[in-house]
Amino acid sequence: MIDEKILAQMNGEYVMPPDAGPAWRAAYEAGIDVSLIEVNLQKTPWERLLANDAALALIRVLENAKSPNPGA
Amino acid sequence: MDQLTEILRQLHDANVEFSLIGGFASRYYGVTLVTEDVDVCARFTPQNLRRIENAVKEYNPFHRLAANKLPLELTDELCSRLKNLYLKTDIGILDCLSEVAGIGDFNAVIQQSQKVSFPFGDCYILKIEALIRAKQAVGRQHDLIAVQQLSAIKDRLDQQPELKFRS
Repeated sequence: MIDEKILAQMNGEYVMPPDAGPAWRAAYEAGIDVSLIEVNLQKTPWERLLANDAALALIRVLENAKSPNPGA
Repeated sequence: MDQLTEILRQLHDANVEFSLIGGFASRYYGVTLVTEDVDVCARFTPQNLRRIENAVKEYNPFHRLAANKLPLELTDELCSRLKNLYLKTDIGILDCLSEVAGIGDFNAVIQQSQKVSFPFGDCYILKIEALIRAKQAVGRQHDLIAVQQLSAIKDRLDQQPELKFRS
């Protein structure tokens, strides 16, 4: 029997940390995916900057793919 | 190809006096928004401007907001009159500002910055509280989203100080 709470979390329900402060709660209430910030906070600052470089590279690939002359 | 971390490394290696601000600084603290440029506040002395020029010279820098995309070729006159440098290079966009909204000039920015370690060495970065104030002062929609995230991150760091010491 699957626990209903766990199932809800598996389906995307965010579990607010009990010690979350007002700004964290406000960001969540405003619709910001704070779980992604949590993932970022587990990285080192340098890893966060490298992830930005990687994201930009992917954006350029996608921009190039949708242009009329890919690779041009 | 954009390599914003490489821009940072080049500025460091060329001994540019600067503090990291803007979206890349926000990324440093954990904001999830992807940024397309490196924003720094730099000391706008002729010597420091020449260091910036040296840092990016091999990447074909040009004044990206100038109508005719003038290449970066500093002269004494230009050094004395520039307040900002908006550059596009082969490895990404670098915007250098002499002052920051909500904070002040380079000296004020440095006073509200902290030294942090990167694989290539130490750099100054605007403290998270000051970065929040700077982004509030600019007030564009995406700045306010960043403010919300930075405020949440500050909350989290206050609750879990051990996260501050990841490097």
